[in-house]
Amino acid sequence: MNEILNRIAQCVEFGKINKTSPYPPNMKDQDGADELAKRALEEGVKPDEILENALIPAMANVGNKFSKKEIYVPQMLMSAKAMNSAMAHLKPFFQSGETKRKGKFIIGTVSGDLHDIGKNLVAMMIEGGGWEVIDLGVDVGAEKFLKALDEHPDAIVGLSALLTTTMENMKKIVMAVKEKFSASKILIGGAPVTREYCDKIGADFYSPDPQGAVNYLKQLAS
Amino acid sequence: MITKTLNIEFKDLKLSSSGIETVLGYKEGDDRNLVTSLIEETLAEFKEISNIKAQFTVFNDVQFDDDTKSVEINKIKFQIKKIVFGQVKKSDSLAIFLCTAGEEIGIRSRKAMEERDFLKGYVYDVVGSEIVEAAADLMQADLEKSMLDSGKKITNRYSPGYCGWDVAEQHKLFQLIPDNYCNIHLTHSALMDPVKSVSGIIGIGKNVRYNPYTCGLCDMKECNFRKVRIRTT
Repeated sequence: MNEILNRIAQCVEFGKINKTSPYPPNMKDQDGADELAKRALEEGVKPDEILENALIPAMANVGNKFSKKEIYVPQMLMSAKAMNSAMAHLKPFFQSGETKRKGKFIIGTVSGDLHDIGKNLVAMMIEGGGWEVIDLGVDVGAEKFLKALDEHPDAIVGLSALLTTTMENMKKIVMAVKEKFSASKILIGGAPVTREYCDKIGADFYSPDPQGAVNYLKQLAS
Repeated sequence: MITKTLNIEFKDLKLSSSGIETVLGYKEGDDRNLVTSLIEETLAEFKEISNIKAQFTVFNDVQFDDDTKSVEINKIKFQIKKIVFGQVKKSDSLAIFLCTAGEEIGIRSRKAMEERDFLKGYVYDVVGSEIVEAAADLMQADLEKSMLDSGKKITNRYSPGYCGWDVAEQHKLFQLIPDNYCNIHLTHSALMDPVKSVSGIIGIGKNVRYNPYTCGLCDMKECNFRKVRIRTT
């Protein structure tokens, strides 16, 4: 059982999606995360084990390598796609409640800003960390975040911005969220954002990279 | 007031796979196996679907106010803030420009992301941005050339949303240009549609200087852009 979990983890870490995907070249013609996750379930491996012992540690390795600048965004995206191909087989178990997610995470790029690469990377890594992600997209104002929180009041909120001007909109959203949902945790990120700015606007956490966000959520869930 | 529409073709942009790999962060000696062919395919695809448009209009009725760090163009006041003001304040006239790579690129990038083909969506997005920035470079070079005859120089280009200039002022910018200029429209929150578009101002005059974008222009000392720049230079 450990062997198939190790192989799934390896496929996710190195971005091997399925048998036909040519990347990475040294895994050509081998089964990918897609086939292996399906086989693992058929062999009786519990979906929880696939999530906890293969997908989450593999994505954590990817996140750590990215934080250390050992891999670039494209490799991370391939890993995210491999993770998704495995996750697709787990979806029915999430829906039936047999497998539980760690919690819910609402994310969006703040109003006036349409840069979504950073936001997408964080969303992928957090999904790979076992969370349900509610992605509100780009150019998202306070109202939309509040509406999402009305529907998912226990969710943690993530705000992203790339522009020095639009990061000011984070402050308005943090104020609106804290006013209505004072217990909600808010994490912020994006190239111009800093820990000092996070403290200044009353957000709860700042992460310079996606893995930092995953680690923070892990802390909150434990 | 002079308006000029430029006819820019995809081949004029001189985009290459290796240049885009550098934008993605790849350095010499890195394994680029994953991205090179995808970028080449994307460039070939976008050559067919991009719809590049670039225009600028030169306004001579400009008034600078040092106290408020603002400028009035044709009686419309822009709070361009300290950084941009410092770069354009010696201008005799200002050009307002718009460039777009067309709407299809943004549509395809979004579609790839929705289909969870993340790498393709990312490469589409980056290549789209490179197309519109390269087109804006050509537009800027054309403006510079056309000003040389009268002994005038130009500044770098500055856009709402950057250097402290509020992105909402884009609405004012669009008041000064004819409807459907480059077929670009603004959303309520002042974002441009098509998404792969750029807009802004360029200073023109005998006493202006072209300064490259550097963190030294900005007063955000703790910004990560600056920290990364310091680490890598």
